[in-house]
Amino acid sequence: MASEAANDDHIIEVRGLINQFGTNRVHDELDLTVNHGEVMGLIGGSGTGKSVLFRSILGLHQPNAGRITVLGREIQFRRPGPEKDWGVLFQSGALLSGLTVQQNVELPIALHSRMSPASRAELAVLKIRMTGLPVQAAGKYPSELSGGMVKRAALARALALEPKLLFLDEPTSGLDPVAATEFDQLIDYLKRSLDLTVVMITHDLDSVFGICDRIAVLVDRKTVTGPPTEIAQIDHPWIQRYFGDPRAQRAMTASDPHDR
Amino acid sequence: MATDYLTIARDADELAVGLRGDWLFDNVPSLEANLEDVDFSGNESVIFHCGGLQNIDIAGAWVLFHKSQEIKHQGREIGFRGFKEAHFKFLENITSLEDAPPLNDIRGRASGRLQSMVESVGESTLAGVADVGRIASAIFSGITQPSRIIWRETLSQFEQVAFRATPIVLLVCTLMGLVLAYQGATQLQKFGASIFVVDLVSISIVREMGVLLTAIIVAGRSGSAFAASIGVMNLNEETDALRVMGLNPDHVLVIPRVAALTVALPMLTVLGIMAGLAGGTLLCQLVLDISPSQFVQRAASAVDSADVFAGLIKAPVFALLIAAVSTLRGLQVQSSAAELGRLTTVAVVQSITLIILADGIFTVIFVRYGI
Repeated sequence: MASEAANDDHIIEVRGLINQFGTNRVHDELDLTVNHGEVMGLIGGSGTGKSVLFRSILGLHQPNAGRITVLGREIQFRRPGPEKDWGVLFQSGALLSGLTVQQNVELPIALHSRMSPASRAELAVLKIRMTGLPVQAAGKYPSELSGGMVKRAALARALALEPKLLFLDEPTSGLDPVAATEFDQLIDYLKRSLDLTVVMITHDLDSVFGICDRIAVLVDRKTVTGPPTEIAQIDHPWIQRYFGDPRAQRAMTASDPHDR
Repeated sequence: MATDYLTIARDADELAVGLRGDWLFDNVPSLEANLEDVDFSGNESVIFHCGGLQNIDIAGAWVLFHKSQEIKHQGREIGFRGFKEAHFKFLENITSLEDAPPLNDIRGRASGRLQSMVESVGESTLAGVADVGRIASAIFSGITQPSRIIWRETLSQFEQVAFRATPIVLLVCTLMGLVLAYQGATQLQKFGASIFVVDLVSISIVREMGVLLTAIIVAGRSGSAFAASIGVMNLNEETDALRVMGLNPDHVLVIPRVAALTVALPMLTVLGIMAGLAGGTLLCQLVLDISPSQFVQRAASAVDSADVFAGLIKAPVFALLIAAVSTLRGLQVQSSAAELGRLTTVAVVQSITLIILADGIFTVIFVRYGI
């Protein structure tokens, strides 16, 4: 009984994941567990399969082997999964360019709810404002927005269906440091007020130390997980290079996640 | 009174609204319907009791907030008992911001739309003139200062537009020859003048149909390919990359395509004409008992060199029109996938329209000078 109750707390469970391209095995018997209510950062050098893992969890990539469960549902390649309960922010935003921001946010609501068009529109505007965009941005097309605004608009779309789980692919890449910090704070705020679980791929050391409760480092085709400050102590060449970087040292001393 | 989500109790000076069940995103339509049914028209203060509430999320809280604001605006007292404040505070933070214009403003007023429409017509006209100049100068500089990279690209484009188009041009022109001959045969047979089918087919194919049909096929095939491939390069910032490497995309992308098509279309036209005549020959043999040698003899006397000239001179002109319009449209693609689709369509439609227009002009000139 006790173990089952604990499993309910596992929002994502990846067990024995194998991904291989030709002879190049990127994941070998990889395990990953994401608990309810935490912000999990996914880090790793280029080519270590962060995106492949991300896409596998979302059912966008067919793994060679392994079992992935998200919110209690097993993920199968390109099969319907818990679309209603997760929100995904792609790296480039992936807003549909032919629709305005508001129409982009309304789209998932329209797909998954029988809400009246008026309520839908108001809820969409509400979500857009939640992400800190001015209301005027609602009527704009993605091509008319700056990079930071596109990310916020995409976040509004990801939040449209009141997800329990939020996936972020490098949310702060391409943003200037001020905008990146604001975005981190927004994620942190939303996570705490909406009871979200967040999984984010990131390279941004400030995000790692600022908002991640735990991180999963992809090294040697597996993951090493733990709180960022503990991971930083692990004696592994790549991890030491990553956290030994002067910028990492500064980020580590600058922010304490439990202090914010 | 009680529903799935509400219980209503009326007091002398208080309307107690008890919330229960799941006030969640999925239930918003029912929640709104439930609230709609409640008679809030009295004067008593309204108290929302939230003790029985199981779950509430932002969508649910928003429905409640919306209703409470409505009641508040009627100048009545509202209150909440036993409410989990988190969501509600959150909403109040957002919605109390003063900069929110009403929703219909966001969507744009009609007069504003009309103004921007007129402006965009003006802007696109100006941009169109500038772009035509841009293409023309690119073509001109391609002629005056050809370079090696452009040669290589021209050859690969030539393969695309000439060799790969050959089967479809042959097929369509053969069918056209068959159809023309069959139509002519059914009419001319009535007058016992079936031999004139040869004149009809050969002259119309050589002068008009061969080149026109080939050009339209190429416009549909290569015109769309030109516009789409250049458009995608624009979207992927590949043209910007070319520019920062010191290559002018106008030259690298436009000249090879224009050159390849200008050479390819006359060649395809010759093939098309031959295929059309072959189709005519086949039908005459099958339906009219005119042997291939008779057909060739008759056709040779019917068609003179002026007809061949009139047919073939159009080909490079059509090629230039197709290549210029489609590369131009490709270069105009900016910032969105929807624009790519639109401008690819525009490229093909304008190419074909211009071909037919140019054909008309040629006909007038030929008639005037007796060609």
